[in-house]
Amino acid sequence: MPARLETPVATLAEPIHAWRTWTLVGSRDGSQVRLAPIAGDGRPWPPRRPAAASCTRDRSHVRPELECTCGLHAVESPDELRRTRDPAVLGTVALWGRIVEHEHGYRAALAYPQRLRLLCYLCFTLWGRNGPGDCEVVVRHRGGRMVPLCGPHLELSRRYGYRVPRILSARAIESELLATYAVDPLRELVRANGGTAESISARR
Amino acid sequence: MDIGRPKRIIEVDPVSLPLPEVVPDLEPATPEPAPVEPDRSRPAP
Repeated sequence: MPARLETPVATLAEPIHAWRTWTLVGSRDGSQVRLAPIAGDGRPWPPRRPAAASCTRDRSHVRPELECTCGLHAVESPDELRRTRDPAVLGTVALWGRIVEHEHGYRAALAYPQRLRLLCYLCFTLWGRNGPGDCEVVVRHRGGRMVPLCGPHLELSRRYGYRVPRILSARAIESELLATYAVDPLRELVRANGGTAESISARR
Repeated sequence: MDIGRPKRIIEVDPVSLPLPEVVPDLEPATPEPAPVEPDRSRPAP
């Protein structure tokens, strides 16, 4: 017999702060960039307005539904994000509205990024948040997908024949991203939002 | 990402939304006065 879910409803007056990754899409010259979810409907997050959850399985139910996987996902620790597929941006995010709390994270109805930084996905996968260096370039692919890379991994990509169709400055793209969403850079991962990751989750 | 099993539902109704402040429109509300025409009634020195 399956365990019955305990689903008490708590009410809070402060948004929950958590961590997540995004992919990055942008114009050919990098003058317009947008965060986009790694999974789900793929719609870019709107600048200066909250992102709203949708459900690709059932449009009729409340979002996020307890028994579904819909909602805007975020986790309590950035280390949980190392296994996500091809992340381009790491950041903290504020969650509000209806939220389903999980063992290691959340699914929320509404969200907005708070601090952002570009990620070399190879460094992040290998070393996590203690990766060695900053991104130097952003490779823009046909269709608008953007892949930030550090210098050594750009060289490695070229050596092994990875397609590098168009290279843009990572510093310029990150500046454009921060200006677009009007948020601060995520420089010190452990002390994002003025505290540790643990203290961020403890604020809820 | 694996966020584990669901635990509970939370309703967050923030006092202030965590969105960037709206940047005020810096355009002047009234148009700038037209430049004053030079006084041509006097002869140039």
